[in-house]
Amino acid sequence: MEALPQTLFFGVLRSGLYALTALGLAISLGVIGVVNFAHGEFVMLGAYIGFWVYLLLSGPLDLGPAVSPLVIALGIPLSAGALFVLGRGVFRFTLRPLLSRPELDQMLLTFGMAILLQNLVSIVLSPQAQDASLGWRFELLPLPGGAISVTYARISAFAVSMALVAATYVLLARTRLGKQMRAVAQNRLGAMVVGIPVDQVYEVAFGLSLALAAAAGVTLVFQTQVSPFLGLSTILKAFSIVVLAGLGNLFGVVWASLLLGVSEQVISQYVPDGSALRDGLFFLLIFVVLLARPGGLGRAR
Amino acid sequence: MRRELVAWLAFIAIAALLPLALASDPYLMLLANVMLMFMALALSWDVVARTGQLSLAHGAFFGLGAYTVAIGHKYAALPPLAGLAVAGVVGAIVAVALGGVTLRLRGIYFAIATLAFGEVLRTVALQVPDVTGGTIGISMPPLFGGDRVASYYLAGAIFLLALALSLGVRYTRAHYAVTAIRTNEAVAAVMGVPVVLTKVLTFVTAAVIATLAGAFYMPFITHTDPHDAFEVSRSVAALAFPIFGGIYTSVGPVIGTVVLRSLEEYLRVTPPWKEGYQVVYGAVIVLAVLFMPRGLVGLASRMRARLSRRPEARIPILGSGR
Repeated sequence: MEALPQTLFFGVLRSGLYALTALGLAISLGVIGVVNFAHGEFVMLGAYIGFWVYLLLSGPLDLGPAVSPLVIALGIPLSAGALFVLGRGVFRFTLRPLLSRPELDQMLLTFGMAILLQNLVSIVLSPQAQDASLGWRFELLPLPGGAISVTYARISAFAVSMALVAATYVLLARTRLGKQMRAVAQNRLGAMVVGIPVDQVYEVAFGLSLALAAAAGVTLVFQTQVSPFLGLSTILKAFSIVVLAGLGNLFGVVWASLLLGVSEQVISQYVPDGSALRDGLFFLLIFVVLLARPGGLGRAR
Repeated sequence: MRRELVAWLAFIAIAALLPLALASDPYLMLLANVMLMFMALALSWDVVARTGQLSLAHGAFFGLGAYTVAIGHKYAALPPLAGLAVAGVVGAIVAVALGGVTLRLRGIYFAIATLAFGEVLRTVALQVPDVTGGTIGISMPPLFGGDRVASYYLAGAIFLLALALSLGVRYTRAHYAVTAIRTNEAVAAVMGVPVVLTKVLTFVTAAVIATLAGAFYMPFITHTDPHDAFEVSRSVAALAFPIFGGIYTSVGPVIGTVVLRSLEEYLRVTPPWKEGYQVVYGAVIVLAVLFMPRGLVGLASRMRARLSRRPEARIPILGSGR
């Protein structure tokens, strides 16, 4: 049994990855209005790119202890960049033509894409889960006091996630592009009238959404196995966070992630046989929120 | 309408006589059973789609049916047919709860909740091993003592139920209600269509059929476990078949099932596809949505229009248009 501070701390760490994944999903949902069922599969693609960077650095280059920080420093820009480009392409050639069609068609497209991607990767690579034995996964961060112990991997994954989330918020709140995205999210027609190139903003927003997914995937390499089928559980939790925050409420995502991450950790520690409840918690949250406050817990912005 | 009904009667007559030709081949008989079951899944999924809703819970209700029969047999010695009836009731109750909460809201909530629902059932099945047998699952003696002709007619009955639902919604006032809802919910409500009630009713009926399919399948293959029962691939199949064959029709889901399920039989044993055969379903969904919105049925009617040199029959793609 862990002490309470340790449990809460791990809960907070857990929420970092949740926030990064959910923010990407919330952007495609809030700005473009498209439910991207393949978001988890893009996290998976990002994770594989991170995993390949690890293989390259630890195998042929054999960089020893420098591998762990380098996977973050090289892996994240590489996989985020690749998926940003991919995202723009996917939007331009598949989603864009469907925007005038019923919502059902858009959801079917992204769901089909999810099935396509996970099985394609499992055929081309391997259906087996793979493990990166990064040094940071096991090395403990020396912390004074001894009440809390944590690996380098978890703390750095959290720090990177939070930095990226913060950077995205700055982009949304302070830059011209962010302003345009928020305008399009609020009112597509109004944004068009004032001369915002709506299609272009959509395309960049979708690319950004996928870039965030890719970065989340790279931090995943530090925490768990990489498998073609990791998308489903990833996206379900991300969905529950987005519903919790309220659709289109980009800034509520962090709080909702924190709520989910900490409660999961607390439940698995303090509720006897709590692992079922922990794994089902996200669904309970969706169900209760939809029943009680369909607009989400926070105030809509 | 008359022509379609006559064609269906002919199809049913042929299907009813099929065991005469196949009964000697256990593999083909097995495939025939499974085909009818998937046709029922595909037809019932399509009825939900006609209201513009995306149900990703068809596999989950299938698994729910399988487990209801299995648990009923294990703890109450419930015979398969009684289990089937109980499963139908259980499916209806669960669908009312799930649909009642989510179908009041925008369609995306329903889609998300239905996707999550299957995962939750799987988690529950894994975490309460005392009831569900955990990862090992539950076994029971074969349906009708392993008589695949008898089970074929049971699967056929479930198929007929699904077909009746599909044709019933097409050729009654319900057709106008679901089409209006799919085209524009707000306008439909103004015209006096009971929007939420219609959506809930179609979802519940379709979910009951999916549950029955699972309740049939479990004793048919004599075993169920969390991995097999709540496989996402079954939800994928339930929607890939109608989309490929022709969404919003009754013929489409049936044709789609025959073509794609046969292809799956081949791919499953052929490297490099094997377990990854679902990549085909993913590709079919993406390509059909992008380039063939009404599936094979839409393609056929366009070809016919071209051949008879009549002006092309306009197939309206119903949508609100943003």
